[in-house]
Amino acid sequence: MGRKINILISSVGGQGGLSLSRMIAEASRLAGYSIATGETLGMAQRFGSVKSFVRVGIGEKVYSPIFHKNEANYMLCLEIIECARNLEYLDTLLGWIILSYDFRPPVSASLLPSKEKIDSSLLLRRILSYSGERAVLIDPKEVREISGSSRAINASILGAFVEISKIFDDSHAMTAIELVLRNQKAVESSRKAYIFGKSLKGIGDAYSPRRLI
Amino acid sequence: MEMNPLKAKDGEKIALMGNEAIARGALEGGVWIAVGYPGTPSSEVIMTLQEFGAEIYAEWAVNEKVALEIGIGASIGGARSLVTMKGPGLNIASDPLLSASYSGVDGGLLILVADDPGPITTQTEQDSRWYGPLAKLPLISPSNPQEAKDYTVIGLELSERVQLPVILRTTTRVNHAIGEVVLGKISEPRKFRSFKKDPQRFIRAGMTWNLERHRWLNERLVEFEKLAESFSLNRVEGNGEKCIITEGIGYQYVKEFLLNKIESGEKFRILKLGLLYPFPRDFLRKALRGCKETIVVEELDPFLETFLRSELLTFGFSTRIIGKDSGHLPKEGELDLEKLRNLLLGGQNVKDRSLDSAVPIEVPPRPPPLCPGCPHRNSYLGILGGIARAGFSRKDIPIFGDIGCYALSAYPPLSAIWTEHSMGASISMAMGLKLSGFEKPVVATIGDSTFFHTGIQPLIEAVNKRVDMLVVILDNQVVAMTGHQATPSWTKTETGRDVKEVKIEEIVQGIGVDELKIVDPYDLDSMVKAVADSINKRGVKVIISRAPCAILEARRKGRPAYYTVIEDKCTGCLACLRATGCPALYVNEKGKVSIFEEDCYGCALCARYCPTKAIVRGDSVGKKD
Ligand code: SF4
Ligand code: SF4
Repeated sequence: MGRKINILISSVGGQGGLSLSRMIAEASRLAGYSIATGETLGMAQRFGSVKSFVRVGIGEKVYSPIFHKNEANYMLCLEIIECARNLEYLDTLLGWIILSYDFRPPVSASLLPSKEKIDSSLLLRRILSYSGERAVLIDPKEVREISGSSRAINASILGAFVEISKIFDDSHAMTAIELVLRNQKAVESSRKAYIFGKSLKGIGDAYSPRRLI
Repeated sequence: MEMNPLKAKDGEKIALMGNEAIARGALEGGVWIAVGYPGTPSSEVIMTLQEFGAEIYAEWAVNEKVALEIGIGASIGGARSLVTMKGPGLNIASDPLLSASYSGVDGGLLILVADDPGPITTQTEQDSRWYGPLAKLPLISPSNPQEAKDYTVIGLELSERVQLPVILRTTTRVNHAIGEVVLGKISEPRKFRSFKKDPQRFIRAGMTWNLERHRWLNERLVEFEKLAESFSLNRVEGNGEKCIITEGIGYQYVKEFLLNKIESGEKFRILKLGLLYPFPRDFLRKALRGCKETIVVEELDPFLETFLRSELLTFGFSTRIIGKDSGHLPKEGELDLEKLRNLLLGGQNVKDRSLDSAVPIEVPPRPPPLCPGCPHRNSYLGILGGIARAGFSRKDIPIFGDIGCYALSAYPPLSAIWTEHSMGASISMAMGLKLSGFEKPVVATIGDSTFFHTGIQPLIEAVNKRVDMLVVILDNQVVAMTGHQATPSWTKTETGRDVKEVKIEEIVQGIGVDELKIVDPYDLDSMVKAVADSINKRGVKVIISRAPCAILEARRKGRPAYYTVIEDKCTGCLACLRATGCPALYVNEKGKVSIFEEDCYGCALCARYCPTKAIVRGDSVGKKD
């Protein structure tokens, strides 16, 4: 019997969430897994909410490109508010959250009269209350410094994901990055970001990530 | 490793998006002419052919009707062609579509139409499957990227053999899904073979032989159904008395839910249809024998269900039909997975885990805004400013909108357009309102590519009938919304083809408008003045508001500058934000405005509205760009 892995990627348009889903698709294909992704794309403008479903079948075929609430084994988030928006997809018993805690309040929210301001650290704490120790936090500033590019943050998330899930070899993940980016400079910064992501551990050291999956 | 999906080898398995798979299928199927008009979720087919250097004719046409007619013209000469569009695009192309079935084709002609359940990016939840019976053309429907590629090849082959155009109908979850695809062999493009004069085939207008052609068409359809059998477009899985008829993405959902059930001996029978029109009667008559209950799982309209209900009597047996008309599945929106699960597994005590899902944290919505520095923002601010300067209230002057990025001006803070209807409708609807007796001025706004697409004829109509209005053509020199495709104003297309630039101002002048101005919207004062001066004059006045799409320009040349906020000077009045709604601006923890400097395009618009001059050019305060 094989197993299926459901991944939900939440991001703001332009952050690289769609490339991340593509990277996982390519790595899965290289690893010989079954893959189905479901997303909505095709609008030039950035800055809207973007939600991509990625499903990987290991030794088993995946059919539907989307999945239900409470079924994401992994939530990969490129932004705090978007992570919060999609939490209902997280498997609250066993699911992991990997979150680059960029905070991008939507401009439309600032226009609402007398709306409470969004407190990013409160939001972060609430998100983590759903995942418990099964969370990896990535500091986007650190990724920028290490890789020299904010576009490489998705590769750091991929690194952290590979470290926890163990479903890909590094060589597959790196080839996938190359296939998707097709630009030597971008590949270089993503490689650095990927290695950085791999070095991160879950926030609860008491729990070995391996034991939980 | 081969990174180019169009060059990868026969037998290789690669991960492809549905639309990329169709592009690959076009090459495997020997397409020589690929033409379409951009429309989500169909655009990536032509884009893939262009980006990965397919050595065929792969270009955008000015609209879908023209694209289809090019395809028909190529195919009656024996070439194989692919024409792509989204659902509403087929409405535009429906005129040639309905005649194409009478003329028939010699080279295979495949018409891709992509529908958008949800709807996610489209104006309606149109179900283009009805075009099968309406145009009396064969219609096939793939359920994943692999089938998208395979059906492209099969569709071209069938089209050529039966001499009818074939419609390949997809939905967003197939067009935009990525899945593994096993590739086939690329074949030589089929180019022109011969074209013979044959009035009975190619001349339609009220001719007596049209009746004969209709008969020919009906015979072809019968032929098609038989021929399609040999390509196994329809199949049966399992052999229970509980039957499920499904197609497209619905099949994938059904499989996902039932896989384990069927393996563990549950009695389900899945009838997976790839050929939807002509409705596969013979196949169903056999496949449905012994079904006690038949569940029809399809997205959008009860299309298969309607056919099934009407055919059932002729089948000579009865089965209870469960679907949309029976009230078991909703008629709106994407297939609801939760409802589908309950329907398929209902009464079997399946624990619905989604009920235990995390309570979502409430966060503000994030609708897509106009990009930072988008020239449309300036154009609409100019129009609104001009309306005010001319002494009108913005509540009194309707601004008609059209289809494109600028429709986002409907959101606050601009809240500019009053309507956004169908391609090219801004000018004609404004005209209708004037004719109805509306006395104040009206403004119609339309993008450059939409103007080329279907805006020219309404302008002719308005000029000819002497209706007073101000038309603002928002010319950002690209089809921006769908991912930046070429317009007829380019001198070189995406494939490097040299083309002759068609100038909007020459068209407008040629039509004989009463006044024409060309304004740079970044020069907001001039824009306001132009609108204020023109709005109340008699006749049709046109302002071409011309500046390239900011996001494309930044990608090509880098941004001209970026702006930053001197925090001590910012009082937190939010005037900049309220005026522009630029997504590069945000309110920081201290209640003051900050700029995501990476995202800022440097248009200086926000700085203009700051009463304390707190927003300045980044390089002027010693920060590096
Ligand atoms: S893609 Fe271009 S036209 Fe569309 S909103 Fe962005 S800048 Fe404006
Ligand atoms: S200058 Fe101001 S309005 Fe223009 S892009 Fe930058 S932040 Fe947005």
